[in-house]
Amino acid sequence: MGRYVARRLIQAVPLLLAISAVSFAILKVTPGGPLAAYEGNPDFTDDDRKRLEAAFGIDQPIPLQYVAWLQRFLTGDWGTSFASHLPVLDLILERLPNTVYLMATVFVVVLLLSIPIGVLAALKQYSWFDHVITGATFAFLSTPTFWLGLLLIVVFGLQLRLFPLGGMQTLGSEFDPVDRMRHLVLPVATLALVQIGSNVRYLRASMLETIGHDFMRTARAKGLAERVVVLRHAFKNAAIPLVTVVALDLPELFVGALVTEQIFGWPGMGRLFLDAAFRFDYPVLMGILTVSSALIVLSNLFADVLYGYLDPRIRYS
Amino acid sequence: MKRTWRTGLVAAAATAIVATACGASTTPSGASPAPTAAGKPAAAATPAITRGGAAIVAIWQFPATLSPHYANQTVTQIVNYGVVEGLAQTADSGEYVPILAKSIPTVTNGGVTVTGTKMDVKWELKPGIKWSDGTPLTSADIKFTWEIWMKDPKVNTRTGFDQIEAIDTPNELTAVVKYKMIYAPYPLNFSDLMPKHLLEKEADVSKTDYVRRPLGTGPFKVVEFKTDDSITLEKNPNYRDAPEKPYLDKVIFKSTPSVQAAMAQLKAGEVHAVWNLTADQAVDLEKVQGLVVQSVPGPTVERIEMNTAQNKEGTDPNSKHPVLSDMEVRKALLYATPKQQIIDKIFFGKAKEGTSPVSQGWAAYKVPQEGYDPKKANETLDKAGWAKGADGIRAKGGVRASLTYATTTGDATREKVQQVLVDEWKAVGIEVRIQNQPSSVLLAGSCTGKDPRKLGTFDLLQYASSPGIDPHATVFQRYHSKNIPTLANCAGQNYTRVKVPEIDKAIDEAGATLDLEKRKAAYQTALKLLNDQVVIIWLYDRADLDGRQEIMRGWEPNAWQRFSWNIQNWWLAKK
Repeated sequence: MGRYVARRLIQAVPLLLAISAVSFAILKVTPGGPLAAYEGNPDFTDDDRKRLEAAFGIDQPIPLQYVAWLQRFLTGDWGTSFASHLPVLDLILERLPNTVYLMATVFVVVLLLSIPIGVLAALKQYSWFDHVITGATFAFLSTPTFWLGLLLIVVFGLQLRLFPLGGMQTLGSEFDPVDRMRHLVLPVATLALVQIGSNVRYLRASMLETIGHDFMRTARAKGLAERVVVLRHAFKNAAIPLVTVVALDLPELFVGALVTEQIFGWPGMGRLFLDAAFRFDYPVLMGILTVSSALIVLSNLFADVLYGYLDPRIRYS
Repeated sequence: MKRTWRTGLVAAAATAIVATACGASTTPSGASPAPTAAGKPAAAATPAITRGGAAIVAIWQFPATLSPHYANQTVTQIVNYGVVEGLAQTADSGEYVPILAKSIPTVTNGGVTVTGTKMDVKWELKPGIKWSDGTPLTSADIKFTWEIWMKDPKVNTRTGFDQIEAIDTPNELTAVVKYKMIYAPYPLNFSDLMPKHLLEKEADVSKTDYVRRPLGTGPFKVVEFKTDDSITLEKNPNYRDAPEKPYLDKVIFKSTPSVQAAMAQLKAGEVHAVWNLTADQAVDLEKVQGLVVQSVPGPTVERIEMNTAQNKEGTDPNSKHPVLSDMEVRKALLYATPKQQIIDKIFFGKAKEGTSPVSQGWAAYKVPQEGYDPKKANETLDKAGWAKGADGIRAKGGVRASLTYATTTGDATREKVQQVLVDEWKAVGIEVRIQNQPSSVLLAGSCTGKDPRKLGTFDLLQYASSPGIDPHATVFQRYHSKNIPTLANCAGQNYTRVKVPEIDKAIDEAGATLDLEKRKAAYQTALKLLNDQVVIIWLYDRADLDGRQEIMRGWEPNAWQRFSWNIQNWWLAKK
C-alpha cells in the first residue's frame, strides 16, 4: 500500500510538470495580452509598452518565460499579478477562505440531503416518492448552474425579496451570523441542487444493486432488524461508489465554482480566476491552474486509496 | 492618470459589457440642488441638505489596485475621486480648474515661462492643506510624485513626466516644474499627487498598503478594502472643507458581478447608484419609480475606420487597398450610413451623431459629415465605374466590392449596428462580411497581440476611443503620417494609413505653440482635412449613463470626469 502511494506520487511529478507546461503554452498562444487594458489610454506610448513588457518579463521567448516561472515557482515564489502587482499567493490566500466557506457548506448540505434521499428512493423503488425524486434529480442534473442561479435570484431575491441578491454579507453592518446565513442560501442552493441530483442518482442505483445481492437475503434470514440490514449491510456497500465520486469533488472546495461565484458576486477563487483570465494575468492563472491540477491528481489518489480501504477485495499492485 | 482613463474602460471592460451609448443630456431637474454654504435650502423648492449616512454605489468591475500610478481601470478612478486629488482638474466646460493649486499657471498670469524650446511651470499650493493622516501637503510631494512615476518600472504611463527635466521647490508651497520641451497638457500632468512622507522610504510601492488604502487629500479615506466584495470610504476629518464637506459619512463601493446584477440591486433598493449603463438598460430603469437616470455626453466616439492600404499582415503603408483606396467607395459607404436611424432605433434617440475624434472641449470640431443619402451613394459608385453585377454587388476592373467588417465580439449593441449597416451597404452594391474578434485581440494595441489595426489586417473596423482633454496626443498619434504602424515600428495609431502632407503640417503647427487660438485653428484644419479624406465614419458620440435612487442628491454632470467626480457634494435625502 505504502509503495503504491509512493509510486503514484512519483508519477504525479512529471504529470504535473506536463500539465503546467501545456497550460502555460495555451495561455501564451491565446491572442491578446495583459497590456490591452492600457491601450485605450491616449497617453500610453510605445516606450510605456516596452517598459511594462520588460517589467512583467513578457518580452522574453515563451520557453524562457516558462522556465523562469517554473524556477521561481519551485522555490516558493508564485510571482506577482500583472494587474494588482500583489503576490499571487497572497491573492489566492485572500479568496481561499471565502471559497472554502461556500463550498464546504455546499458539501455538507449535499451529503446530508443526498444520502437519505438516495437510500429512501432505492428502498421504495417505483413508489410516488421515488418517481418524484427521480424526476426532480433528472431535472436539476440537466439544469445549467448559471440559469438556475439567475432563476433563484429572480424568484427569491427580486420578486419575493426573501434573500439578498449577492455578496457575502450586508455592507456597512456588523458581523451577523443570521445575515451571513441569508447570503449563503441562494448560492448554496444553486450548487447543491445540481450536485444532490447527481449524488442521489449514484446512490439510488448502487443501493438497488446491493439490495438484490444474496447477502441481503442472508442478513434478513438471520433475523436482523430491517434498520440494521439497510444501514449496515446495504448502505455501507452501496456507499462505496459515492465515496469515490465525493472524493473526486474535493478539489472544488478550493477551486470554487466559477459560474456561481460570478453570478452571486461571491469573492472567491472562481472570480479570481475569471478576472485574471479577462486580464491575461498569467501569473495568477498559472498559480490557480497548478494548484488545482495538483489537487485533482491528489484527490484521484485519495479516492483510489479510500476505495481499497472500503472494499478489501480491491488489491493494489 | 485621471484624464486618461475614460477609454481604458473601452478596452478593459468591453469583454464584460455591451457598449455604452447615449448622448442627450437630461440632468434630472430638481435632483441636484446647488448645496449652499450653511446647508440651508437655497430656495423654497429645494430641500435642505441632509448630512450623514452611507451611500452604496454598485461597481461591476473591481479595482485591482487603487494606486494612481499603477491603475488602468476606470473603476479605480471612480473610487479615487473620493480619495486622491491633484493640482488641477477639468470642469464640464473643458476648462482647467485648480484643486490643490491656488490657480492654473499660464503664460498670461506669469506662471508659465517659455525659454526657447523649454518651459517652466510654477505651481503654488493652497495653504493649509493636509493629507488625511494630518501631515501637511508641501511642494516636496509634487516633486516626489514625479520622481516615483519615473522610478517605478510598473507605472501605467510616463507621458508628461518624461518631459520634465527637474523640479525646484523654492519653498513649502511652490514648485517650479522644468519641462525639456513645450508640453501643452501640463495643467493635468499632476492630477494625482502621492505622499512623500509615507512612500519615500519604500523600495517598491506595490508591496505597501498604499495600493489598497491610498493616502490622499480628498474628502474621504479608504478604511476597508475587501477584494471583490467592497471598498469603504469614511469621511476625512482633515479635508480642507471639513467639517462642512463631505456631506456623507461613508461611501461604500459594492462589487456586483455585472451591470445587470447592479441594476437589479438598484431596483431592489440594495444600492443607491449604478455607474455606466447601456441605452436599453437606462430606458428600463427610467420606468422605475424612485430611480433617476443621468446622462452625460462624453468625448468617446464610436467610429468605423477604413484601411486604405492592403489588407495583409504588416501591410506596406504605400500599398493600395483594392477597394477602399478609392475615395468614391469610401464616400459611398458614408452616404449609405444612416447615423440618425441607428441612434433612434438602437439608442432610443439618446445618442448624438459623431462629427470628429474631438467632439468636446476647446478644440472640438463639430462640422457633421455628409448625411445619409443612398441614392447619392449609388450615383457616386456608378460614376466611379463600379458596376453592379448579376448578384447586385459591384465590381470594377475585376475587383469585387467586397469587404470585411470587424468589431468586438459579444457586444449586442455593436452587433445591432453591424446588422443595419451590412443591409444598407449591400443595397448600394457593397458586400460586407462580418469578422468580429474578442476585444482582447481587436483592441490588443500591439503587433504581438495580433491587433488587426496595428497589423493592417482589416477592411472596416468599428470601435470607440476618446481624446484626452488636450487633444494633441490623440490627433498626432492617430492622423499624422509619421504614426502609421508597421511590423518594424508598431507604435503608431494611424490605422487608416491616411497620409496627407497638409494634415501633418497642421498637426505639427498645433504642437509647436502654447497659443490656444493658434492651436485650435490648426486642429480644426487638420480635422477638416481628415474628414475630407472620408477614411473614418464617425458613428455616434457615446455618453455616460448612470442610474441612482432619487434620494441620492448632489450629482452634477461633467463631460470630462466620471460620475463620482464631485462625491464631496453627494447627500442622501430622507425618504
